[in-house]
Formats: sequence, structure tokens, C-alpha cells
Amino acid sequence: MTRTLALTRLEIWRQILTWSGSWWFVVTLAAQEAISPLLGLFIWTAVTPGEQVGTYYVALLAVLLATASYEAHTLSNGIYDGTISHELLKPRATWIAVAGENLAIRVWLILMGIPMLAVAIPAFGVTFTATNLLLAVPALGLAAILRFLFSWVLALSAFWTERAHATMGFGGVLIFLLGGSAAPVPFLPEPMRSIASALPFRAMLGFPAELATGTVAGADVVRGFAYQLGWIALFAILAVVFWRVGVRRYTSVGG
Amino acid sequence: MLVLRLFGAGFSMSLRRSLAHRTNLTFDVLLAILTLISELAVVQLIFTRTDDLAGWNRAELLVLVGTFQLMAGIRTAFIEPNLSWFTDQVRNGKMDLYLIQPASSLFLASLSSHSPVALTRAVLGLAVIGGGIADHGKLPTIAGLLTWLLLLATGTVIMWSLGVLVSCLAFWAPRLELDILFSSALNLARYPVDIYSRPLRIVLTYLFPMAVVTTLPTTALLRGPTLVGTAAAIAAGAGIALLAIGAWSVGVRRYTGATS
Repeated sequence: MTRTLALTRLEIWRQILTWSGSWWFVVTLAAQEAISPLLGLFIWTAVTPGEQVGTYYVALLAVLLATASYEAHTLSNGIYDGTISHELLKPRATWIAVAGENLAIRVWLILMGIPMLAVAIPAFGVTFTATNLLLAVPALGLAAILRFLFSWVLALSAFWTERAHATMGFGGVLIFLLGGSAAPVPFLPEPMRSIASALPFRAMLGFPAELATGTVAGADVVRGFAYQLGWIALFAILAVVFWRVGVRRYTSVGG
Repeated sequence: MLVLRLFGAGFSMSLRRSLAHRTNLTFDVLLAILTLISELAVVQLIFTRTDDLAGWNRAELLVLVGTFQLMAGIRTAFIEPNLSWFTDQVRNGKMDLYLIQPASSLFLASLSSHSPVALTRAVLGLAVIGGGIADHGKLPTIAGLLTWLLLLATGTVIMWSLGVLVSCLAFWAPRLELDILFSSALNLARYPVDIYSRPLRIVLTYLFPMAVVTTLPTTALLRGPTLVGTAAAIAAGAGIALLAIGAWSVGVRRYTGATS
């Protein structure tokens, strides 16, 4: 366990240094993550002025940056071009490399996001309370784990199909629509709201943002955390099973 | 004429390549349908809580969403396959290939490869526009329809020109990778510019004219064209296109290849 932690820490640091050479690219990734909440903010502010929409979407921007996962590009491309073979030969679990890169990109995105948030918070008159933010932190951590596992599972479709990017596209559409990006989940009409609340997408995005905004309370908070933990358990099992089955199918390019 | 023949040959090749990979084709078509469903669901959601989005009713917004899908389909089919990751081609010297062929390097770099499957999105967009017009209950006038077509062509020229301008940056700053940012920024045309705050609205009208891509054509189609607005949009389109052609000419002169 100590060895795995040390290797993960080293991999994160190595990837942070590697990505420091592409800082401008990370700026564009951060800006890309900002477009969807920005659109949501303008639309829902026009539709329902004064309903804490601004605060929600600024919180959502922070959640998007802290949970961003690009495994369709890092992991799937490694499967397609055969470079994952390098990782398979190393005396460590392959997920360490993938998770290390994921976390390094997130660190850079959060750093790039700080000036964005510094502009957005006063520009949209956003206020957060310390209690709500403290409650949102563990939810954000769980959302980050869940989004990585979801992305990992979809990216592994590269073992079976050439269209892992489209598979990730399907996932992206579901996250956008039911995760609280297209509209805050409480704004959805019934029964869509109940369904979206129970699906994993709100647990990845909307739930931590709702906690930070203070629009979820009481039993709903407990239920939200329970959904997050339940989905993490399920996707962790799927991640392990898909990896084990997929890696047996894998034949490296030029083998 | 040569350019048109090359464009046709490139499209035909790309179409045959796409049809050869049926599973990929199915995936891409399904993704286009799902994306459209999500767009329509958002419109539906908005109008469960209001009857008016910054002066636009449900039918008008549907036509705008359809117009966005149409334009996004055209861009993904004809422009994006060429200009995406152009910086890499400048960095690793693959740009040489365009310069040694007996055709315009700008055409080869920006319009020679196609992704015909993306036209599914354009066709779905047309269907949504049809549905929106039926819902609107008033048929567009001939003048409105012609202006809409003219503005769509102008919008396409603007998307191409902005893509070329962004790509041209590679000649001066090959480390800049603005592709993702540019593609994302085009999403600002997804909704009427009237929903944005005044500074952003000014940017989207005059500086990064996404208003010409969707808002203006939809307004002309549904509410009738205005001579001043249409003329200004066409002038802006021509200006940006000339700027893009000029920037390309100057940029290509700076290009030295990666191996020489």
C-alpha cells in the first residue's frame, strides 16, 4: 500500500512536470470546461432571475475543473497506438499511470481555474458560506473519484471498438443533460428529477455544486452522499472487471 | 474550377471511406441523434419554466437550435477535418505536403478533407428547423428564406475564416493550441445572443461574430430580413475572409519546414 501510494505520488509529480510544458494547452482545456456552465448561467439567469443560479453555475465550474477526466484521449489512445504496452511491462499497476496523469491535469486545471473563479465570483455577484463549502468538499472528492471511474470504464471500450471517443461522447451527453450542467437537477420536471437524482451523473457534477450553493439540505444531503458511495462501488467493480477482460483481448500494434 | 473538382474528389473519397466502416458510421450517427435529443430536451426544459427566453419563444428557439445543428454539421463535415490540430502540421513539417502540390495551399490545408457522416447532424438540423417553423405557425417569406440562405453561406465563410485565422497563429506561435478553445467558443452560437450580457453580446456581434452564424439568419427567416443587418453581416464575412487569406499568405512565407 505504501509502495502504491509512493508510486502514485511520484507519477502525479512526473505528470505535473510533463504537462507544465503544455501549459497553454491546459489554458484552452480550462476555457473549454468553462463554456458549458457559462451558457447554463446565462440561460437560467434569463429564465429564473434571482434563484441562486449564478452561484450554482460558478460552483459547477469549479466542480468541472476539479473532476475533469480525459481518459478517452490518454487511456484509449494508448490502447489504439499500442503505447499502453510500455505501462503493461512496468512492475506497477497500470491504473497508477492513468490516475497520475488524470490528477496532474486536474491540478493544472484548478490552477488555471483560480483566476477564472476570481473574475466570475464578483462579476456574477456570487456568495458562498463557509458551512456550505465545507460540506461540498467531501462530495467534490467523491465526485472526482466517480467521474474518473466512469471515464475509465468508457475509455476501456477501446479494447472492443474503434469508437471509444464516440462512447465517451455518449457519456458526455448524459453527464451534460442529467448531471446538472444543462439545467440544475432541481429545475428538472418530475419524474426526470427523481431519475436524474438517482443516476450517477448528478453525483459526478451537480450534487457538490448544489451543496456549495446551499440548495440541498437534510435527508437529501445524506441521500446524495449515499448515491455517490453506491455508484463509486459499482463503477470500481466495473473498472476492475472491464480492465481484466479487456487486457486479455489486447494485442499490441506491430506485435 | 480545379478547386471545385478537387473538392468533389475529396468528398467522394471521404464518403467511400466512411461507408466502408459501417460500425463507426452507426456510432457517429447515433451520437449525432443523441446530441440533438439533448439539445431539444434543453429547449423543452427552458420552456417548462418560461414562455419567453430573452424575447425568443419556443418555436423560434427550435429554429435557432436547428440552424446551429445545420451549421455545426457543415463545419464538422467540411472545415474541422482539415484545420483541427493544424499546429502539429506546422511543427512537424507535414505542411510541406501542401506546398509541393499543384493547387492552392490554403485550399489543400483548409478544405480538402471531409467527414461526410457529420452531415447527418446538418440533416437533423434541417428537420428541427422544419418542426420549429411548423410550430411557429407562420411560413417564412421568400425574402426571409433567401436572406437566411445568404446569411448561412456568410456564417459558413466566417467559421472557415476564423478557423484559418486561428490556424495561422501556428506560423508565429507554434506552441499555441487553440483548437479546443475555438471549437468550444463556437458553442456560444448555440443560443440567441440576446441572452448574454452586453459586453459579451458586443463581442459576439462584432469581434467574434457568432451572431451571424445562428441568431441573425434565424431572425431573418422568422421575423423578416433587414437590409442594414444583412449588408453588415456580408461585409463582415467578406472582411474576415480577406483577412484570413492575407494572414495565410504572410504566414506561409514565414514557414520554413521542420527538416530543412
